[in-house]
Amino acid sequence: MRTRTRLSLALAAALVALALAAAAAQNQNGEGSAEWTPPRTPDGQPDLQGIWTSYTATPFEVPDASDNPALYSGDPDGTGRGTGPSSFLNDTIDRKLTKGRSLVVDPPNGRVPIMSWAEERRTYKLLHIQDHWENHTAWERCITRGVPGGIFPTGYGAGYQILQGPGYVAIVYEMIHEARIIPLDGRPHAGSSIRLWNGDSRGRWEGDTLVVDITNYNDKGSLATNAASQRVRAIPQSEALHVVERFTRVDENTIDYEATIEDPKVFTAPWRVAMPLHREPDYQIFEYACHEGNLAIPNTLSAGRARDKAGATRRTP
Amino acid sequence: MQNWQKGALIAVASAAVTLAVSQVLRDQTAGQAPGNAVVRTADGRPDLNGIWQAVGTAHWNLQDHQARGGPVLELGATFAIPAGLGVVEGNEIPYQPWAAARQKENYDNWLARDPEVKCYLPGLPRATYMPYPFQILQTGTSDILMAYEYASASRVITMGEAEPPPVDSWMGQSVGRWEGDTLVVDVTGFNDQTWFDRAGNFHSEALHLVERFTPVHADLLDYRVTIEDPKVFTRPWTIQVPLYRRRDAVVQLLEFKCVEFVEELMYGHLRKKTGDEAPFGAARLRWP
Repeated sequence: MRTRTRLSLALAAALVALALAAAAAQNQNGEGSAEWTPPRTPDGQPDLQGIWTSYTATPFEVPDASDNPALYSGDPDGTGRGTGPSSFLNDTIDRKLTKGRSLVVDPPNGRVPIMSWAEERRTYKLLHIQDHWENHTAWERCITRGVPGGIFPTGYGAGYQILQGPGYVAIVYEMIHEARIIPLDGRPHAGSSIRLWNGDSRGRWEGDTLVVDITNYNDKGSLATNAASQRVRAIPQSEALHVVERFTRVDENTIDYEATIEDPKVFTAPWRVAMPLHREPDYQIFEYACHEGNLAIPNTLSAGRARDKAGATRRTP
Repeated sequence: MQNWQKGALIAVASAAVTLAVSQVLRDQTAGQAPGNAVVRTADGRPDLNGIWQAVGTAHWNLQDHQARGGPVLELGATFAIPAGLGVVEGNEIPYQPWAAARQKENYDNWLARDPEVKCYLPGLPRATYMPYPFQILQTGTSDILMAYEYASASRVITMGEAEPPPVDSWMGQSVGRWEGDTLVVDVTGFNDQTWFDRAGNFHSEALHLVERFTPVHADLLDYRVTIEDPKVFTRPWTIQVPLYRRRDAVVQLLEFKCVEFVEELMYGHLRKKTGDEAPFGAARLRWP
């Protein structure tokens, strides 16, 4: 009798434990659950740490009949050998990629309000990559994919490690090896004569959302460098560029990422991108030693000089 | 050398270094004001967070070197090379004979061969004592980030265990552990493309580093590296470079994205000439 009581007590305890564990697991999954709160780092920040990727099958913009995808991917002649990295997302093996209407969520038509001079500038540069390395994007030059462009999806190498320490969040970008360190101590932006490829980031927590304000850009980069960014690829950025990013961890495996982009010299209105970052603990970030093995630039240029020599004219679309 | 002998040698060498460091620490902390003691994280580890920089001339040459003119005549004194005392224990790098000859050749062909001239990733330990700041971000949980201003290089030090490096790389694979107050980082998986300094000191892909970061006080790290490469050296050897906390009123890592500074050098001959380019002066180059 006593043994049986003990057994049933043990059984009851086990059942309660199982129920609790199941409830906890449900909370952890938390898909769509508003109650899910992110774990905290030892210094009390919402914990975004880990390995994340930005692979997606969602197009950057809502496609339009006026689009010229061959041009945007650096393949105006339609030879299939564009300069845009792997024009679309081929690293899809075993990934259940999200597919939505467009990453651009504002304006509601899903189209970036690009001024015409900026499109003309982009088109000129993409048609003249054989003349000068400055006509390539900063990605092909192995300088940077930029901010926020470095998080925009691409076909490979889209791994990110977030680390947090007292007063800082750092994002290590796999592609072109950036270690972007974001101070959280409320210090003002750097002086206006400091111009940076990736801008000057200042972060703060608004509830559980990391909000990063970025200014002090140079005018040499471009907002997006990869073919997956379609029409926005190689659109220039001006020194007036101002970006606000928001990182919100909404469940164990997802960060909702948003970037609001305003550059009154390039866009007629601010616009906004929204996309998920997926936690991929088994994803291994490899060293992306880009410039050290960059044959794209010398090969493109020497092809241009060979073409000059042969007196060939290039077909313009 | 047999493996066990090598192991024993490294063990003895590291024991010696540990003894030496603790002696230095005792010496240096003896006169220390209590306010300047080692800062600690919540879990009691030394707090290495901050922006650090080496101050000496190790980036020019790990060994004793005299001041001398720089390679471009027109730069005069401004880009001349400062003198410095060596940071190698015993001031001797134990090259195998062929490797000693190669180092001399590297030195004579500095501008053509030094990966820094082309803005390539610096490798280790060179990144640590280049004349640029670097930032340590110590997470509360495990990994430690070291981000270098030069060329946006960085490394994440995995604390604890790690699989062997999957491929060779410029910055290697860093695996760390704490030995008392010392952060010990074991680095392997290098390629053979990086140098140790601007004097042509080099290594092979067999390079294996054991780095030791020991806080002396809040603003000073004792940085020692034992360098082992059986293809190039006859024995492991050690360098010691103090790292100072940048105490500027305002300090942050900025960008030194040097690719754009070397594109003309590397690709200029392939650029389409328009005739509108600003001409280069006729600088006179002489080295060594």
